[in-house]
Amino acid sequence: MNVVFKPDETFRDDFTFRNSPEAIRRFPLPFPEDRYMYSVNIEEHLPGPPGSVIEFPIDIDEHYVAECRERALVLAEEPRRFQALPHMMSSQWDCLELIMESLARDYPQHFALERRGSRWVWTNRPLQIHQTFTFGDPATLPQEPLEYITRQAQGDWVVMDQREGDLWCEAGMVTTQADWSLDFDMGMSFKEWHGPVPLAHEMGVFDRALKFLLNLRLNEPVRRLNWTMTIHPRLDTSPENYYKWGPDRATVTPQNAGNKAHLRVELQGLWRLPRSNAIVFSIRAYLISMQELVTVPKWARRVHRVLRDLHPALVDYKGLSRYRDAVVEYLAPFDDGAPTSPGTAPE
Amino acid sequence: MNHADTIVVRVVAIEQVTPQIKHFTLAPAAGGNFPAFSGGSHIIVVMRGVNRIHRNPYSLMSSPGQLETYEVSVRRMEQSRGGSHFMHDQVQVGNELEIAHPVNLFPLDKIARKHLLIAGGIGITPFMAQLADLRTAGVPYELHYATRSPEHCAFGGLLSEREPGRVQKYYDCTGELIDFEGLLSNQPLGTHVYVCGPAPMIEKVVATARERGWPDSHIHWEQFSAPPVGDAFDVYLARSSLKVHVVPDQSLLESIEAAGVEVPYLCRGGVCGFCRTKVVEVDGTLVHNDHFLSDEEKASGKTIMPCVSRARCSKLVLDL
Amino acid sequence: MLITGIKSKPVYAPLQPDLRGRYHLMVGHGVGGEPLLRVLGDLQTAAPSSGAHTQILYVTDAAAADSITGQIRAAKVANVRLFERGDELLAAFQAVLAGSLMGTRLYVAGPESFMGLVMRIALQFNLNKDEIRAEECGTLARRVYCIHCCSATENVRTNITQCGCGRWLVVRDHYSRRLAAYMGVMVDAEAPGELPPVKEVFL
Repeated sequence: MNVVFKPDETFRDDFTFRNSPEAIRRFPLPFPEDRYMYSVNIEEHLPGPPGSVIEFPIDIDEHYVAECRERALVLAEEPRRFQALPHMMSSQWDCLELIMESLARDYPQHFALERRGSRWVWTNRPLQIHQTFTFGDPATLPQEPLEYITRQAQGDWVVMDQREGDLWCEAGMVTTQADWSLDFDMGMSFKEWHGPVPLAHEMGVFDRALKFLLNLRLNEPVRRLNWTMTIHPRLDTSPENYYKWGPDRATVTPQNAGNKAHLRVELQGLWRLPRSNAIVFSIRAYLISMQELVTVPKWARRVHRVLRDLHPALVDYKGLSRYRDAVVEYLAPFDDGAPTSPGTAPE
Repeated sequence: MNHADTIVVRVVAIEQVTPQIKHFTLAPAAGGNFPAFSGGSHIIVVMRGVNRIHRNPYSLMSSPGQLETYEVSVRRMEQSRGGSHFMHDQVQVGNELEIAHPVNLFPLDKIARKHLLIAGGIGITPFMAQLADLRTAGVPYELHYATRSPEHCAFGGLLSEREPGRVQKYYDCTGELIDFEGLLSNQPLGTHVYVCGPAPMIEKVVATARERGWPDSHIHWEQFSAPPVGDAFDVYLARSSLKVHVVPDQSLLESIEAAGVEVPYLCRGGVCGFCRTKVVEVDGTLVHNDHFLSDEEKASGKTIMPCVSRARCSKLVLDL
Repeated sequence: MLITGIKSKPVYAPLQPDLRGRYHLMVGHGVGGEPLLRVLGDLQTAAPSSGAHTQILYVTDAAAADSITGQIRAAKVANVRLFERGDELLAAFQAVLAGSLMGTRLYVAGPESFMGLVMRIALQFNLNKDEIRAEECGTLARRVYCIHCCSATENVRTNITQCGCGRWLVVRDHYSRRLAAYMGVMVDAEAPGELPPVKEVFL
């Protein structure tokens, strides 16, 4: 696929991020039905239709260059957004290999990887990077391997070590998150890390997900979708910077919701890593404004119904309390009550 | 999920390393490198015999840093159901076999402050790969390795050369025994013990460690059971509406697979719990041979691990 | 945002002797002396020779009765060490762990804010859940980590607290064993200046 990058988009200050019509058509709507509740919606991460966000294991889209620049801006202010405990070094190399191999194989016009034994040469044309290094020797890269490669990848990356029948959040690059902190959650077990999620523990969601992931196999990655909403196309909605983005939530009205309110969908991928036996969890955020969303009539109807009928605990957890009603009011005129076809395809 | 994507491999070298153990070097038939793996991983080797297919787990013992080849060692089992005999007697250099991607059910604990490795006989194999990981990890470790005699001490010379001062060898023939009591009484906090070898050795290490106060989270063992031979019986697969006859030297899992029904598995050795299957009905007793189900679960008769367990009955009905 | 009812909040239980342990290391602060004496008694009843393999590290505290300190000092165990300050105990505790053997069980008793610091050190020595038992007693005052400025405030007794960085934080039940602290998040970020009533809740 030939991706045309939009390198000047911003995710802060003047918020010039927009989706092209093609980007809207491929948006991964997470609602197969008109209502939403948690489920262990994990499926094999198999290739999807050409042009879709799941055509390749790791998706590169028109926002790639701009998102990498946004990540660099966050890291310049807060280096703690990347962290890795010392025993995670082999998993860092695993991640670097996974990302480089995937991008070079699936986007050869943009990336290239040449491997001669442990001497690797990496070319990233969109970011104009050409790097020769020794695989396994951190001193040959400008940053630790996971930081190095995730500065060149979209989405957040968390690596979990597996021991004691549990998964431990012990390395990661997290700059585009929906209100959780890697700095605080480092070292936590799977259920501690997901502690702040309401209802799902009682439903047994994390018991089942953990059991499933402990048996995740090499070469058989899985994926799921998750979602929330964000005001403005802001990628960095971290607890660390809550005081910067929190006030936006109080500014949404039915009149400006089309432009301000964004559905934020996370495509989450999970891979067993070969050298470390760890699991990497990629959390890739896709943003779409309500006025972009309503260009697809089926999606306008469906999202209107999902938001209107959402469980109160989820409204609170997803931080929608102050503006959900305004968004529902904005969407209501686009919902004529007609039934929606099953599945998420535009129609 | 099943192993749809096996890797075809070519046998590039076979070496008789002890009177009972053959060492096989495998290369990808399609060229290139194998997938990376971590020390402690095993592969399932698929052997297509004349009358039946064997799928046996073998620990990868090559260095995880070297991926042009995979290496496994196979001990010739006296009461083989065919897998080890097939590897010993049928497989020649140049032959092709299939393997599944590596799975690690015996990983090193990455935050351990010391690793204590205890091997008996063919149980040395997972440690060969783990030692390669440990040499660069910067954490203290030691290996205690017991065999019948120097002649039976596979890779003894290689180990002494690679791990000077870190390997202690013991030979039954000269009456040298590993002093489990002493070893497990004197380890610094944060040590993990790993044992792989014959069942009595594993039982002894686990029991001694517990008796010396070790918590279970610091005790690791791996023992693949070969599916024991038993009486013939019939199994009915309720969801598939199939009747399958299980002969004495074929496992329940193998029999079900031969009938064309896929059962998810990882280890085929009674360890991982992946092939656990619901028992709908049985008119006799279940013979549980696995290391996964608790005693209560075994007694309840509600589930079975078909990779190693069987039934003494005329009719067993499974939810498959 | 969930404030309470978060699963990362530690759950404690009354101390029971772990007879599978070979060495017993008891660490307590103030009113935590009482459960320590109780578990010590239970241990010595069940395993009369265990005293030779038992050590106690204890911080005396005005909140605890002198009789407790006296009984701890007189305990028939291999080693008793009393400290006036928590940080002195933590330094000694670290040194003890460095010389300890597998088979050691850790018993901790006292306020959570103290136990968190003890267990954070135990974590560095790879003591797992099956090697540690903890009983909470005494003040519920919390150690709070400001997610915005990355510093910790000790002895927080209120639902809302002002951090050294000037921000007012709501204290969530989300707990990090690595940081030995609860998460504090700015409470009036969405509506600056709108502070809910400050209440003493962690007493």
